[in-house]
Amino acid sequence: MSINTAKESNLALCPQCHKLNSLPGEPAKRAKIQCLRCHGFFYQRKPHSLQYTLAWNIAALIAFIPANLYPIMIIYPLGIGEPSTILSGIGQFVDLGLYPIAVIIFTASIIVPLLKIIGLFLLVYRVHTGVRLRPDKHSKFYHLLEFLGPWSMLDVFVVTLLVAVVELGFVTSVAAGPAINYFTLTVIFTMIAANSFDPRLLWDKKHNNE
Amino acid sequence: MVEHKVDSIERSFNWSLAGILLLVPAILLPIMGVTLAGQYHHASLLDCILALIDRGFFMIATLVFLFAIAVPIVRLLGAFYITYSFKFNKLKPSLLHFFRAFHHLEHWAMLNVFMLAIVVSMYKLLDDTELSLNMGLLALILWLISSTMAASALDQDYIWQKLEDEFVD
Repeated sequence: MSINTAKESNLALCPQCHKLNSLPGEPAKRAKIQCLRCHGFFYQRKPHSLQYTLAWNIAALIAFIPANLYPIMIIYPLGIGEPSTILSGIGQFVDLGLYPIAVIIFTASIIVPLLKIIGLFLLVYRVHTGVRLRPDKHSKFYHLLEFLGPWSMLDVFVVTLLVAVVELGFVTSVAAGPAINYFTLTVIFTMIAANSFDPRLLWDKKHNNE
Repeated sequence: MVEHKVDSIERSFNWSLAGILLLVPAILLPIMGVTLAGQYHHASLLDCILALIDRGFFMIATLVFLFAIAVPIVRLLGAFYITYSFKFNKLKPSLLHFFRAFHHLEHWAMLNVFMLAIVVSMYKLLDDTELSLNMGLLALILWLISSTMAASALDQDYIWQKLEDEFVD
């Protein structure tokens, strides 16, 4: 069964209002289209989508390294600093026997960012080469990655809350560590990378190969 | 394929109105407090951001402010303005632009993530301090519920269709 894409029928869906625009005549390649309904500008396929995705993705991967090496939080019980990284924070929950919480943080701060970075690399590679590209499966995968993105901010919010709440003068306080900056950058970069990726490209290559 | 949500405008209007009423208490009331060695301290959502500014984490403070306060507020006011215009038949052509901008913010509201963070930090604090929950938490939960309901009740296809019938020739 062959699938006709909208591009071949000279149609384009507006990403904002989901209006199906039919393109007048033979459109110039990569020209901006103005939506008939919401008057917003959009492209039939985002130009240089793969390059942008790749660039933001590499930036995210680089920021992810210091995010895990530096302490994300320094706890001062009775004045003595006790730095903890993302992983050692998870370790503390495991030691306490709070496995569900440990699993939630591990998923949000380690698995999700890595899954997003690796997943987007994979999608870019598949679109670029067209090898074993399965549009239906891969677009579902892409939307999963897009949905998961914001949940990585969990650890940043936890540190923020602890810093603000545990402020007991000399007795005990919590300070944020440098890793929080890098970790936030990782999350933002992966979200921008996912936004730059144009899932409609997944449907193009398949047709070209047939 | 197109299925219209029942009473979309009315329901979204009511939820967003509730959200706007809850907005101020949710941001200003203390969420939780800790007691340790006779000392007590609590913090609200706004205090979290002020604490970060205090410690020199300006980037994080800005982003937490955007994701947990600014974007949810703008989304809520946006949903209110759109449903208000539909309910009282005050449609303007500028709504087309407004509703388009409204879509752009969809991914950047992280109030639900913040709620999970509150739960996680409670477990972290329970270990060696005495934890007390304040009214701010209740207000925040209700705020999250009403803004989520306001956004999900909004029937985007219906609104776009109606705006198109009205203003696009």
